[in-house]
Amino acid sequence: MARLLADTVTLAYGRDRVVVDGLSLEIPDKAVTAIIGPNGCGKSTLLRALARLLAPQRGCVVLDGEAIHRLPTREVARRLSLLPQQASAPEAITVEDLVRRGRYPHQSFFQPPSRRDQVAVERALELAGMTELRDVPVDELSGGQRQRAWIAMTLAQETPLLLLDEPTTYLDIAHQQEVLALIRWLNREEGRTVVLVVHDVNHAAQVSDCVVAMRGGQVVAQGPPDRVLSPELLERVFEVPCEVVVPSASGSPVCMPRGRALPPGNSAPAGRAALRAERLSSGYSRRPVLRDVTVSLPAGRVTAIVGPNACGKSTLLRTLARLLKPEAGIVFLDERPVWESSHREFARRLALLAQGATVPEGLLVEELVAIGRYPYQRWYRQWSERDQQAVERAMVATGVIDLRWRAVETLSGGQRQRAWLAMALAQETPVLLLDEPTTFLDIAHQVEVLDLVWELSRSEGRTVVVVLHDLNQACRYADELVVMKDGRVVAAGPPAEVVDQELVRDVFGVDSTVIPDPATGRPLVLPGRALEFELASERLGEAEPRGRAWRGA
Amino acid sequence: MVRALVSSQTERRPRLRVVRVGGVAFRVDASVLAMTGLALAALLALSAWALTLGSYRLPLAAVIAALSGSGSDEAQFIVLDLRLPRILAAVLIGPMLAMSGAIFQGLVRNPLVSPDVIGVNAGAAFVAVFWITTRHSPAALPLVAFAGAVVAASIVYLLSWRGHIAGPRLILVGIGVNAALSAATSFMVVRAEINDASRAVLWMTGSVYASTWNDVRTLALALAVLGPVGIALMWSLRVIQAGDLVARSVGMPLERVRLSLILVGCGLSAVAVSVAGPIGFVALMVPHLARMLAGPMCGSVFAFTGVLGALLLLGADMVGQHALPVGLPVGVVTAAVGAPYFLYLLYRVNARL
Repeated sequence: MARLLADTVTLAYGRDRVVVDGLSLEIPDKAVTAIIGPNGCGKSTLLRALARLLAPQRGCVVLDGEAIHRLPTREVARRLSLLPQQASAPEAITVEDLVRRGRYPHQSFFQPPSRRDQVAVERALELAGMTELRDVPVDELSGGQRQRAWIAMTLAQETPLLLLDEPTTYLDIAHQQEVLALIRWLNREEGRTVVLVVHDVNHAAQVSDCVVAMRGGQVVAQGPPDRVLSPELLERVFEVPCEVVVPSASGSPVCMPRGRALPPGNSAPAGRAALRAERLSSGYSRRPVLRDVTVSLPAGRVTAIVGPNACGKSTLLRTLARLLKPEAGIVFLDERPVWESSHREFARRLALLAQGATVPEGLLVEELVAIGRYPYQRWYRQWSERDQQAVERAMVATGVIDLRWRAVETLSGGQRQRAWLAMALAQETPVLLLDEPTTFLDIAHQVEVLDLVWELSRSEGRTVVVVLHDLNQACRYADELVVMKDGRVVAAGPPAEVVDQELVRDVFGVDSTVIPDPATGRPLVLPGRALEFELASERLGEAEPRGRAWRGA
Repeated sequence: MVRALVSSQTERRPRLRVVRVGGVAFRVDASVLAMTGLALAALLALSAWALTLGSYRLPLAAVIAALSGSGSDEAQFIVLDLRLPRILAAVLIGPMLAMSGAIFQGLVRNPLVSPDVIGVNAGAAFVAVFWITTRHSPAALPLVAFAGAVVAASIVYLLSWRGHIAGPRLILVGIGVNAALSAATSFMVVRAEINDASRAVLWMTGSVYASTWNDVRTLALALAVLGPVGIALMWSLRVIQAGDLVARSVGMPLERVRLSLILVGCGLSAVAVSVAGPIGFVALMVPHLARMLAGPMCGSVFAFTGVLGALLLLGADMVGQHALPVGLPVGVVTAAVGAPYFLYLLYRVNARL
């Protein structure tokens, strides 16, 4: 029998919100199990229950043949550790302090920290690549470093079972690959059992021995990745058509969701610049981020800004949107310096969808979208026919019209993101800047948002500038790429001309193979993979790769 | 009842109506307007009832007669000079405190903020106690208390200014200033003559006892000016609640709007405190109640907050004056009734999460 299993568990928040219903699952020992599924399918909830953080309504979680809720916490914590999602550290605590806390279950009042604890801490720091940053306060780390600090804490716990909730979120490709390699290593070399929840299907394919696909609180499929990750199953789980590319040489399958919009292989030529920055330097009080950035963003096109963590993508977007005053350089909107226009006038020409906005409790979707109309209103003229029409149009375009009377905080991640997008659309600006609109979304919702972005630029001629995490999505949807590293623009132009193996290595620090995307002919980046590929999906038979030579082959 | 309050929020379905008069157009939720009307009617009834209560009982007919000037001299004196000013003071102070609380809570996006937490009221109390214990003329008390509130607010604002105002810093600085001022006030009370000290302590509890028509005029003027300005500013506060970045990206001159909101919030609170002393918990509690009943803060909900504040303060004063064997200042009642009720509400709301 497996060490860890769930026996017909029902999990609910409160009395009526059942998230997982009568689910049974055996976690294979000494293997890597990846749980995938759309937003709100109950995967994180299940993980929390497996870690004893959530008591099941019915059924039980069994650890080593005993009901986990009968075991003392400390006993559980010596066998099993959990990396939570979006953990927050107390202020000013250093990385080493944080990692040391992982040793808590091995200590007691009469057993002060021992040499063994110190050894475990050192080892955890080294494995997570945090030894050099050990004395840095956690709140000063970048998102990627912070994630690794928390992974180090989990490792210091030295448990045979590791549960990881979205360990690759917030990380750029290089760090993602590092974390995945670490997971692999922990399993292969130390024989640890790993369960991870991931929203990127490709990470599941890359790292796991067993994939568990969930939907609506149920397990839809469980098995080895090459069997589970078929186009049919992915479509059933995520409700979006997917292409699966299987490398013939022992590689794991690569899935690409396919949206309604399929941008052509050749990017449309860039015309006039809608937004232009000249020799821009910008940053926060003592920390310069952008250095001498000159960039031109074509009108009516989709431009994607990509780059590793902390390269200044969001800072560039904020400086363009006039939220941050540059130390040097000028930003032009339609050839006019942005700081010359009034707040209101500027907000009618450019909208920014920022990251991590808060929603006041009880605010309805319609009320949130109406906020986008602010630049057209005065305190004495708070509403007009045009406001009403713009709000309706934005809600229809983003598909939240049926949710208009729902409170925003009751929406799922994907719905919420679309509501925010509707707010930015209601601003009815020719230029739209989006900061990581796909983070936290499952692949179906990611594709939905990107399709919408593409359609906005094509059917309404809007200029869209979008910061994206996922290089492949950027390649697929953008007419123009702006690649950044260390606060500078290192390359700009159509994806096919910009993205190749050297660029991925130089900018993201990861070895990869770049092939033409079988669906569009645009570049497709396969991190650390062999060179020969074949199509798994029949559907793609007719879509011939469009003649671009394989780069770096 | 609380469950009804809470569920009415999650299932809120606003009946939005657009009111247009020439170039002026507002979009309001008809259900909030209805609630406000209902609360106003209740307030009117409660006030009428309050006029009949007292050691000298007057039937409602006699009260109406006295109001219209046709009652006996005695009844007229009791109604017009003793009871009416006190009731009107409560009815005006309640909205001012509640609205001030709503402004600060929205501005800082933190439900724990109110002028009694971030030192505005403590500033007024400090100066007022100084004034009382040094035996200056009581006539000028409201004015100096107002000055104290504004000075305290300015200190908090200046100390938390780092190129812009950040919510958490404002709270922390406010709590610090509040503690310092309260300590200084206690020190003065301890050092004062016993008679002065007891007067100072009575003032510090907060009461509408012995309010005069002069007080009512001051309060009415302040509310008539600041109330509408507050309602107009709610249009922007609604946006600020979604975050500073959002506010700035939809083209709001954020610092200017924020400064106006702080000035209005301080003004409302300071005038109320200068007349009645620091009455606790109204500013903290009433905006919560209003939001639970009517949804997130906006112009109409702000007005509703005001009416609820009036209801609550008048009710508390009536309880303190008539329902208990000893007359208590209204500040004691709001603290004794308000604090546990507030905890209860918080508990019920949290229990749902």
